[in-house]
Amino acid sequence: MPKSDLTERQGRLLTEADLEALALGAAILGTGGGGNPYIGRLRARELLRQGLTLELLPFSALRDDDVVYEVGGIGAPVVGIEKIEKGDECLRALRAVERATGQRATALIASEIGGANALEPLITAAQAGLPVIDGDGMGRAFPEVQMTTFMIYGHDGLPAALADEKGNTVTITGARDFYWLERLARTVAVQMGAAAGMAHSPLSGRQVRETAIPHTYSLALALGEGVRSARAQRQDPVERVLSLTGGTRLFEGKISDVARRIEGGFARGSVSVEGLGEHRGRQLQIDLQNENLVARIGDEILASVPDLIILLDLESGEPITTEVLRYGFRVAVLGVPAHEKLKTQAALKVVGPQAFGYHHSFTPLKEVHHVMDSR
Amino acid sequence: MSWIHAEDLPDIAFGAAVLGTGGGGDPHIGQLMAAASIRKHGPVELLHPDDLQDDDLVVPVGMMGAPTVMLEKLPSGTEALAALHALERHLGRKVRALMSIEAGGLNSTIPIGVAAELGLPLVDADGMGRAFPELQMVTLTLHGVSATPMVLSDEKGNAVLFETVSNQWSERLARAITVDMGGAAMMAIYPLSGLQVKQAAVHGTITLLGAIGRAAREARAAHRDPVEAVRLATGGFYLFKGKVRDVQRRTTAGFVRGEAHFEGLDGCANRQLTLEFQNEHLIARSGSEVLASVPDLISVLDAESGEPITTETLRFGTRATVIAMPCDPQWRTPAGLALVGPRYFGYDLNYLEVERRFPANTVGVTLAVPV
Repeated sequence: MPKSDLTERQGRLLTEADLEALALGAAILGTGGGGNPYIGRLRARELLRQGLTLELLPFSALRDDDVVYEVGGIGAPVVGIEKIEKGDECLRALRAVERATGQRATALIASEIGGANALEPLITAAQAGLPVIDGDGMGRAFPEVQMTTFMIYGHDGLPAALADEKGNTVTITGARDFYWLERLARTVAVQMGAAAGMAHSPLSGRQVRETAIPHTYSLALALGEGVRSARAQRQDPVERVLSLTGGTRLFEGKISDVARRIEGGFARGSVSVEGLGEHRGRQLQIDLQNENLVARIGDEILASVPDLIILLDLESGEPITTEVLRYGFRVAVLGVPAHEKLKTQAALKVVGPQAFGYHHSFTPLKEVHHVMDSR
Repeated sequence: MSWIHAEDLPDIAFGAAVLGTGGGGDPHIGQLMAAASIRKHGPVELLHPDDLQDDDLVVPVGMMGAPTVMLEKLPSGTEALAALHALERHLGRKVRALMSIEAGGLNSTIPIGVAAELGLPLVDADGMGRAFPELQMVTLTLHGVSATPMVLSDEKGNAVLFETVSNQWSERLARAITVDMGGAAMMAIYPLSGLQVKQAAVHGTITLLGAIGRAAREARAAHRDPVEAVRLATGGFYLFKGKVRDVQRRTTAGFVRGEAHFEGLDGCANRQLTLEFQNEHLIARSGSEVLASVPDLISVLDAESGEPITTETLRFGTRATVIAMPCDPQWRTPAGLALVGPRYFGYDLNYLEVERRFPANTVGVTLAVPV
């Protein structure tokens, strides 16, 4: 598609300040996982300073025949702390899939808005001279490849490619089903050093409109801006997050224990939180697989996937990610209702509690109030 | 120009099992698949490397994985075609001829069946002149040929295309995917130009396989010693005759690893031999004395029939003669030994050519150990 076409429907151009807000908001929506967006923010800022543009395109600007590629990182978030990307992994994965399909991208979309994968598509898009759609496939972060609304609603995601910093590229051209796609991709990612860039076969603009979760970049930006302005105005940033997401304050306390291990390319484990204030004397436990999966007190489940379980620093509202969790943090535990597209029968099979090996059925969190039209 | 007919396959499979040095998978399965394809589609043309145009596209096809797994997880027959077609699509070119990546074991006969199916010729060459456990272990690597783009595919419909920075990385990534695919998968690998085949491959190995099998068959028919016939056909040396006393074998990380212990018989009475293997036999030693090592070929032959015995079928009581054969000269260079010498496999041992370990021997004359 000629560049002039794209400029005709120019979206929002992100600034350095936007990147700061986006990284903060994406970390909140990361529900503990998705990788720390900090390094991605620095990389994106560097591209801005080099004169490249980071452009967000609203759903309304999508055309049916747009060719939209899903890109993001795959791996264990803890590894991302010390294995810094070379910078072109996702771009090379994108090019590999473009070669395999023979279709050039007209826009990119995030697999997951939560965590580092909010920044990856922006970086890749800037490198490729493309816009990023204001939406994603999760509305949060999830640990596995098939856990996107794109795949839940019928997109096979094939071919899919992974690229590492050493220059290796692996293209999965056939997979029996999306669980096999996840299995093969995970194996490759582990061999590549537990972190790699990944791209999938493209969605049409129409498919994006029908299956993506809309306005999630806008939501992440609003969350980041909201927390920062609350801090500046000496208001409670946790309250600001609740009001923007329609979430509930489930618990407050101090982290008393963290059990975390790297297993099969994932960070798995659990976190114990000792109650403070009105929760004193009670203990909350959170299970995680990259992301927070289930929050419970004894046998009582307070929240579970696909709803979002978010840990924020009690004072600053800073999100606490899986890889930095440690004894002594004072946290607010928030429950935020997932988008409706994650709560259908079809979706619960892929991202509901049973998909993560739990026996309980999903009881949705009540939406406290209606907020952005994205929810 | 010559042709491979269904009736040639038993000899080729026999020779492949000898050069398989205990590994490479049982060629019998590939033989059955090749026989079925030839009966259906006709014989396969065997092309001498010199008959190729320099810019012809030649693709080796074969199986990757643990030979033990191949015994019960048979290929459905479509995986190799799927891998080859995916590679052709990626390259945007049609294959002119197929090749065997390793003359030893299953991967000698697999490409014959695929060639029959597609009506393509097979080049009379391979990448090893034997079998080796890892995919970078080909003479092609010594000439800077990339293993990738390569494709792995399985019977479930999974297919993966690799483009890597080194052949060692191809091995690492493809091995992990092979384990996921169930421990065995089909591959199309090392896309070659005709010129690269001429310069880098080991030539004449399919013809050699047939000659080894024919020599053993004719010896048996004439009530001569088939073991001696195999030794003569390969220019080999006798290492040992004995009975298997113990075998330790484990399948780990997509390989069969272990060792076999032999008690001497006849002229070797009161002596012991230990064979160490990783899919293929790597080292033969008697006490602390090394009798032969990679990259030279070590094969275990049934003492009566001369039938080669693979590492996965070795068991207590097997009576066998162990022979060693000189490898292709390319493996004896410093680069060759860095890739497949004893030190690569973790042995603190300098390679010594088998014929220099037994200086009294000239090829085909005296015995290293009285049998």
